[in-house]
Amino acid sequence: MRRIALALLLVAWVAPAAAGPAPQPLLIYGAADLAFALKEIVPLFEKAAGARVAVVLGSTGTLAKQIENGAPADVFFAADERFVDDLRARGIVIAESRTLYAQGRIVLATSVKTGVSVTGLGDLARSEIRRVAIANPAHAPYGRAARQALEAAGLWERLRPKLVYGENIRHALQFVETGAVEAGLVAQSIADVPGIRAVPIDPALHQALNQYAVVVKRSARPELGLAFIHFLIGPEGRPIMRRYGFRLPGEF
Amino acid sequence: MLSFSARKILPGFTLDVAWEAGDGVVALFGASGAGKTLTLQCLAGLVRPDAGRIEVNGRVLFDGADGVHLPPQQRRLGYVFQGYALFPHLSVEDNVGFGLRDRPREERRRRTTETLERLGLTALAARRPRELSGGQQQRVALGRALAVDPELLLLDEPLSALDPPLRRQIRDELGAIVREWGKATVLVTHDLAEAFHLADRIVIYDQGRVVQAAPKSELLTRPASEQVARLLGVRNILRGTVIKATPEIIELRWQGHVLEAINSPARRYLPAADTSVAFFIRPEYVRLIRKDRPSPDPGHHMNRMEGRVVGEVDQGTNWMLRFKLDGVEPPGQDGYDLEIEVPKLVYEMLEIARDRRWAISMHRGSIQVLPTS
Amino acid sequence: MDLYPVWLSFQVATTATGLTLLAGLPLAWVLARRRFAGHDLLESAVMLPLVLPPTVLGYYLLLLIGSRGPVGRALGALGIELAFTWRAAVLAACVGSIALLVKAAQAGFESVDQRLEQAARTLGRSEWNIFWSVTLPLAWRAVVAGTTLAFARALGDFGITLMVAGSIPGMTQTMPLAIYDRVQANQMHDANVLALIAVVSVTALLMGLGRLARVRF
Repeated sequence: MRRIALALLLVAWVAPAAAGPAPQPLLIYGAADLAFALKEIVPLFEKAAGARVAVVLGSTGTLAKQIENGAPADVFFAADERFVDDLRARGIVIAESRTLYAQGRIVLATSVKTGVSVTGLGDLARSEIRRVAIANPAHAPYGRAARQALEAAGLWERLRPKLVYGENIRHALQFVETGAVEAGLVAQSIADVPGIRAVPIDPALHQALNQYAVVVKRSARPELGLAFIHFLIGPEGRPIMRRYGFRLPGEF
Repeated sequence: MLSFSARKILPGFTLDVAWEAGDGVVALFGASGAGKTLTLQCLAGLVRPDAGRIEVNGRVLFDGADGVHLPPQQRRLGYVFQGYALFPHLSVEDNVGFGLRDRPREERRRRTTETLERLGLTALAARRPRELSGGQQQRVALGRALAVDPELLLLDEPLSALDPPLRRQIRDELGAIVREWGKATVLVTHDLAEAFHLADRIVIYDQGRVVQAAPKSELLTRPASEQVARLLGVRNILRGTVIKATPEIIELRWQGHVLEAINSPARRYLPAADTSVAFFIRPEYVRLIRKDRPSPDPGHHMNRMEGRVVGEVDQGTNWMLRFKLDGVEPPGQDGYDLEIEVPKLVYEMLEIARDRRWAISMHRGSIQVLPTS
Repeated sequence: MDLYPVWLSFQVATTATGLTLLAGLPLAWVLARRRFAGHDLLESAVMLPLVLPPTVLGYYLLLLIGSRGPVGRALGALGIELAFTWRAAVLAACVGSIALLVKAAQAGFESVDQRLEQAARTLGRSEWNIFWSVTLPLAWRAVVAGTTLAFARALGDFGITLMVAGSIPGMTQTMPLAIYDRVQANQMHDANVLALIAVVSVTALLMGLGRLARVRF
């Protein structure tokens, strides 16, 4: 009995897990709002460039911290330009590669299930809307934009008690999807899911969500990284990005 | 040969003792908390004294002055703990052989088998301690300690974990085993009968100090002091005043009577006149003078007194009478002056239940005057 | 379906549990059997990882072992990569689970009658031997319980791993990170499958460990 246990342990240990994939793929660290867009773009780039690409998604702040401390990212797509500037100041990224790749948009999302229907920010004040979800304005760029939009519309103080903060926009959207809240302000790029109705919010109401990409200095393949950035904002990537609600350079 | 001296200061208790023993069994006797178990632990090396010296058969196990302190592993002692401390997760055989690990396999097996046989444990070799009776567990503990052929055997209250009915039988078995193995043994007990049955020499502990160390025969007849007598549970400890003391005789006044006690020239105890002294006479040595016999001659019945029985306590095989002397007011403690032990047969024959008035006598050799401590 | 996270998680968890035992058992023994100045402080320090939020813990660890941290740089000089590799995932799992093992083992050791250890000493056994032949067997149940808890915790670690190892697919994306990642990407089917595998495999393992605990000495 003891020997069987030992054998299993040995097998589990020796399993090829530790080795990792053989040739290192290009590591793209991307903000969470790029999830769907990257899912489509990456295979196209892989075929075009003949290289393997892996994507690590997360909150921009966390990813930036990790890159600062040696994370093996080749390219970083940040939803918040401040983090890119910070990394540039610390000399961690190649300054010349800094590229504006998109501007984000926020939308007002409701779940078809709840039967609630809204047409604009003003509707959020209605009594039937008991809770509204946004990403945490303290650290999420889309959350900050949501707050700015509400302030501009003069609704922030009134809606404050109703607000529920998600860790990130996906989290906020989950609140809406599950019916835990009646409405939410999230990124347009992730709102295109079944069961969710989205109403665009006037971008003038908030500071522009300029999103920058940059190549990391310790990358072994900076040219490939740069190529990926250009692919994304180029003729192949554009339509996909547009479909997911990103405004691309030249369009805003 | 064992020589032990140790001083250890603990919060609320100080141990400061010194005694010696030869081969054979020495018992450390005293009340709980007197420092007896602590002594064993110092002997075994489980506790380090602050000062002192421990020597066993010429080997120095501890010397505070020279900084010698052998760890328990090297002392070659066998220790039987109170409650036995048998390894619950090992069989009887593995328990007994536990100390033999560093010997070659053949020797280990041989010694273990031998020990099991000598202690009658062979049939139980595969059992676990929890399946054994108290007496069996004790034998396993003994076997474990003896299998390594120690120079000294330490027994901590070996009988206290057993039910009283069993104790006597196991005590005798234990005595036989210890004598048969022939090891020098140190035995700790708070039971005087146990000490007397098992040991040749007794060291009396009281609150961290030794009050007397002597062969057992000497102890009961000549306790070193009133304190020792009390610790030994001696009865009839009485107080009197010295009239005169010579190397042969001590004359005392007690409860209005004059008593004559033999003094031991070897002891040279010569209290001054009018000194208050303690003395005792064992209850079984007070004679009731039979009324159906011819009138006694004074030479036979010494220290003759008269009085009556005011009460008696049933002690199973004998009666302990409470005797009050005539003409003495106030009487001694609790309304009587003396305790007299009388076998039940004698009690019935003399019809003491009915006939309460008696004359008593005490042989002057039975009266022990105790030196003041 | 990519099952790499499952293999990775089991490998990380077993390695981490092994290291936790290596470091945690002596620590538990010292806490149980030795009194010294700083004893209580050490006890509290061990509990700290259970109390701090995992991402905070992960952040401090990252500062330590990252490319700019003292440990990270020292190891880097030796050519050893720690942060953002599976080794960091092992470290994260250890940090998160060691308290569980230490507490359980400590209680187990404390419950062993010290007279048994004293008896063993008088019978010639060294301290090291006494630990293996007396103390550990008698504390076995508690140690297995602690190991089980530590393993389960190592398998399920999220916050600390996310910070120091990152969620790099095919390299450091353990099962919990993978499930979270799928949920984030709205790939609920994949997320559910991974979660099911996690539950089934852990249940099987825990039952096996339960058998181990009942081994009679």
